Amino acid sequence: MYDFLWLVPTLPFLGFLILALFGKKLGKTLSAFVGVGSIGISALITILIGIRFLSSPPEGDAFVQTLWTWIAVDRFNVNIALHLDALSLVFTFVITFVGFWIHLYSVEYMADDESFSRFFAYMNLFVGAMLLLVLGDNLLLLYLGWEGVGLCSYLLIGFWYKDSANGYAARKAFIVTRVGDAAMAIGLFLLFYSFGTLNIQEILTQAPQTWSVGNNLAVIATLLLLGGAVGKSAQLPLQVWLPDAMAGPTPTSALIHAATMVTAGVYLIARMHGIYELAPVSMFVVAIVGAATLLIAGFAGLTQVDIKRVLAYSTISQIGYMFLALGVGAWSAAIFHFMIHAFFKALLFLGAGAIILAQHHEQNMFKMGGLAKALPVTFWTFLIGSGSLAALPLVTAGFYSKDAIIWFAWSAEGGNIYLWAAAVFGAFITGFYTFRMVFVTFFGQQKIDVSHFPKWTIHVPLIVLAFFALFGGFIELPGTMGHFTLFSDFLKSALPAMEEVAHENVSLEYFSQILTAVLALVSVYLAYVLYLKKPQIVTNFTDTGFGKGLQQFFLSGLGFDWLYERLFIRPYVWIARTNKRDFIDLFYVFLPWMSRQFHYAFSYTQSGKVRRYILGIALGAVVSITIVVIL
Amino acid sequence: MTGFYIALIFFVTGMFLVAVTLLFSRLLQTKKPSPDKYLTYECGELPQGGAWIRFNNRFYIIALIFIIFDVEIVFMFPWAVVYGKIGLLAFVEMFIFIVVLLVGLAYVWANGDLQWVKPRPKLEHLPKAKGK
Amino acid sequence: MTASEILKMMPLIIVLATPLITMLIIALHRNHLTTMIVSVIGLVLAIIAIPYSKALDLTKIGELLIIDNYALFYFLLIFTATIAIIIPSYPYLEMRFKGNREEYYLLILTATLGSSVLAASTHFVSFFLGLEILSVSLYALISYLRQTNEGIEAGLKYLILAAVSSAFLVFGMALIYSQTGKMEFNALMQFFSNSSKLNLISIVGLVLMIVGFGFKLAVVPFHTWSPDVYEGAPAPVSAFIASVSKGGILALLFRFFSQYDVLNSKPLFLIFALLAVFSMFGGNFLALLQTNVKRLLAYSSIAHFGYILVAFLAGNNAQNFKGVEAATFYIVSYFITIIGAFIVVGIFSTREREAMSVSDYRGLYWRHPWLSVAFSAMLFSLAGIPLTAGFIGKYYVLASGIDNQLWTLVIILIVNSALGVYYYLRIVVEMFSQPEEAAETKHPSPSVGVMTGLILAVLTIALIWLGVYPTGVIGAIKISVMGL
Repeated sequence: MYDFLWLVPTLPFLGFLILALFGKKLGKTLSAFVGVGSIGISALITILIGIRFLSSPPEGDAFVQTLWTWIAVDRFNVNIALHLDALSLVFTFVITFVGFWIHLYSVEYMADDESFSRFFAYMNLFVGAMLLLVLGDNLLLLYLGWEGVGLCSYLLIGFWYKDSANGYAARKAFIVTRVGDAAMAIGLFLLFYSFGTLNIQEILTQAPQTWSVGNNLAVIATLLLLGGAVGKSAQLPLQVWLPDAMAGPTPTSALIHAATMVTAGVYLIARMHGIYELAPVSMFVVAIVGAATLLIAGFAGLTQVDIKRVLAYSTISQIGYMFLALGVGAWSAAIFHFMIHAFFKALLFLGAGAIILAQHHEQNMFKMGGLAKALPVTFWTFLIGSGSLAALPLVTAGFYSKDAIIWFAWSAEGGNIYLWAAAVFGAFITGFYTFRMVFVTFFGQQKIDVSHFPKWTIHVPLIVLAFFALFGGFIELPGTMGHFTLFSDFLKSALPAMEEVAHENVSLEYFSQILTAVLALVSVYLAYVLYLKKPQIVTNFTDTGFGKGLQQFFLSGLGFDWLYERLFIRPYVWIARTNKRDFIDLFYVFLPWMSRQFHYAFSYTQSGKVRRYILGIALGAVVSITIVVIL
Repeated sequence: MTGFYIALIFFVTGMFLVAVTLLFSRLLQTKKPSPDKYLTYECGELPQGGAWIRFNNRFYIIALIFIIFDVEIVFMFPWAVVYGKIGLLAFVEMFIFIVVLLVGLAYVWANGDLQWVKPRPKLEHLPKAKGK
Repeated sequence: MTASEILKMMPLIIVLATPLITMLIIALHRNHLTTMIVSVIGLVLAIIAIPYSKALDLTKIGELLIIDNYALFYFLLIFTATIAIIIPSYPYLEMRFKGNREEYYLLILTATLGSSVLAASTHFVSFFLGLEILSVSLYALISYLRQTNEGIEAGLKYLILAAVSSAFLVFGMALIYSQTGKMEFNALMQFFSNSSKLNLISIVGLVLMIVGFGFKLAVVPFHTWSPDVYEGAPAPVSAFIASVSKGGILALLFRFFSQYDVLNSKPLFLIFALLAVFSMFGGNFLALLQTNVKRLLAYSSIAHFGYILVAFLAGNNAQNFKGVEAATFYIVSYFITIIGAFIVVGIFSTREREAMSVSDYRGLYWRHPWLSVAFSAMLFSLAGIPLTAGFIGKYYVLASGIDNQLWTLVIILIVNSALGVYYYLRIVVEMFSQPEEAAETKHPSPSVGVMTGLILAVLTIALIWLGVYPTGVIGAIKISVMGL
């Protein structure tokens, strides 16, 4: 079964090729078959490989499929090879499985779009690039996938390119992530320079031998990689692109947020864990970034009115949790949360998409309301997703995954009580804004009549994902509740486990869990009171000057765009303007000028006259003979 | 390579001398052009008409064909001399050689190049003559 | 001559027999399509004969020829390229030429024969014979469209200049022979390597031969003919000159110097290095603002052979064949791209003229998306953009240069690659820009025949295939170069 691994990334690329080349001729039905089918088969193969992996793991707990050698010169040896271990298997599974349901959903969502096949082409390419990223066994493939993901996000965010705002959002996403990519590229060069190989596994095994703990190079390399990770994963300080990325079609958002793109940063850090462990400082920075991001994004989420923007900020915040977990060294907890998050976030986006479709593409949730009756399936599944996001205790998967992170934030080696407090507080905010969204959207008065009732292509993905958002958590239970560790055992072969350090103090763990659970419930109740029962409290507060300011502040995502505008954009534009004719520029003007002069000079020799040509040959001969004679 | 530096000096001096001589001749000469001076020298005869006349390009094809078969004979003489030593192989090789030439002959024949009055070729690609 | 020797030579013999048979067929029944099909069948048979020839153990055929894996590899390359040129020639000639079209195939086939003899030659005699078979066929081919002034002009120029260069070459050979009394490459190179202080006359002979090589490869300063000839010759013939003709010469150049350490011979190294540098800069600067696509391709070809010379210099010491490998791979990728590019030019030609101006390609994407994508792929490969064969080729050339510490050459190569990108992308930009409404009618909008389209598609796929999966071809090249 393992030998079919190469099909997993190949099929989406193939789908992309077919759709890109023949898309217009295929028609919508066939395009849909190709687009969804390619991912579907990929997902099926992944699941079969996963079953095989669980039943009889490959030797060394990793399967490497070397397809061919791209370039082999001296030390620089690039194999086109896929590396499948527990970590990449989890990612591959989530990407293909969740991706498949998103694709299926898109068939209905995009049904009326004129660029139907173009959409599926991009989506397939997106999934393919992400699969390349997680399966590639060397830095070059990883980078290729990384850039491919960036490109596809640009294409998809700006999918409806006729509206210039969408183009702007796409550019913003591309440029902001590029800042991180530049850092990451340097980091990758540094790794290649230090270890002389591009192979990730070789780097990871060599690293502890070459670098001692706290080695400066290790710190620099990991921080540079972190730069790339925060760019792609929309973490502080490069989180500003994600809310604007909502300009793309909703399935795109689901794909970006759940299965691909934003989780690339999590993957990168988890994959490079061997190096991060050598740089405790960087680990700490990762944890801090995560904690800060989850709080900031949580605050921003509190006041958003656009349903997709709420979800966008919740993604940033949840990825923040994953970074926090990575930072404290709770690798498997981070990956666990990633998986559960993929389920419920895809579910929420798809649900939001169904709502938007039903409400004449209205995205402002305060203009909606009372949709619970009209869209029952959407409502129930959305509720499940929200519950999971808010980590409602015991019943939802989100509870188990988030609880693990919160507990590790305190008890793990790199954790402390401040990180724990941030995580707990973040959980409270999450619960609040999530259920604010649920209450505002589904309860109260129905304001817009429902224009589109979803069919099975929307319902099936929702129900399947809801199932996983509910029960996906039971594969990993905390120490206080049976200590069932299927998932982390599975990941143990790829990522170091944390158990032994973590479960020393049981009563503390109980305290943490109960506190989180209670806070989650309280937050839901608070949302219920403030947005359904007595909305005047909120309006009264926002009418005051302070409240209004705070609301605006939160609404703008804590003013980061404003800050960056003043901090980077304006000075840059100013420098560019004043520096238009500076010395450096002269050099670049000089180069083409010089080339042109050379061109004219050389053109003179092309006179078209045979005697001149013969003269040229004779001169060449004379000069050559002179060289021989003199030397 | 010191010897060559001497050669170089010699070369340069030679060039210089020639240039100086030509220059002096140019400066000292008197110039009296007359039409007779510009006539083509044809052993004292007066030239008839211009040198740029057209002649029938069929001569060209005939000449080519002639040369091919002429050269064939040139090859066959030495072949005949050593034939006894090489034997069958030489026979086969010459046979192939002549077959190749015969193919050429057949081609030339079929194209009508052996006839002085050639079957008119289609000349659609040429621009049609104007007027007349 | 034994039977196994004849079998070994089978590919050459088939290529020799094909024009004869074609000639007979023309004599019996003149038909354009039949002639084309017979030529293609002949070449396909020759390709089929290659593996059988490879299976035989002996390599040397008399004193003149050697048919080793290296020669067979070039045979394969040359024959395949010729097929790829012949098939699109059919609609091209149908459209552009109203006289006798059949002789075109005769000439192409004899030229192919000449080129493949070069690849297999180990002796001055076979070298010169092959070269002349190639050149004489080319004289006629270049001015095949004899209704055009440019064609006649190009043919005449090539005739005169090639004659001059042949004179240099033969004189060089004569000088060498006068000193060594040998004409066989291996023996010659032994002579050159063994004599500690080189005999001046023989090395001058070598230099004169390099002039001849340089002319055929069109490296600066012996390049001047190439833009005029490329422009005037029919597009498929330009493709042939750029690929098959140069490929044969290059194969010979490698074989000629394979036993000689050019890298450590100061004067020869300097000459080749200067040729490479001048070609890179000259070709690229000349192409920079060129608006005629055929001339532009000619200039780019000059630059590309400058790159190849870098690899030639790098790989020419007997211990390390990396450079030859790189150059051979480069040649393969260059064959594919240049033939593809000229096929596109040929497709766009109308009855009156060829689509030579860059402006003819304006907005091509909106009229012929497939064609423009194929052409873009060719141009990207010429520019050396990753995931095309051109990138891998250039990469290997660079690597071989770095391997031998030819830093100056490597840096110049990189600078020139950057220069090259400009003019290749200029055409791409032109193709993808929106056409002006009024100009719509002026542009040629041809219909692409099935076979031509197929060839173009195969070339494009091969281009990307080599860019993504070069290992197979590189392995084949490694094997073929090993015995050199």
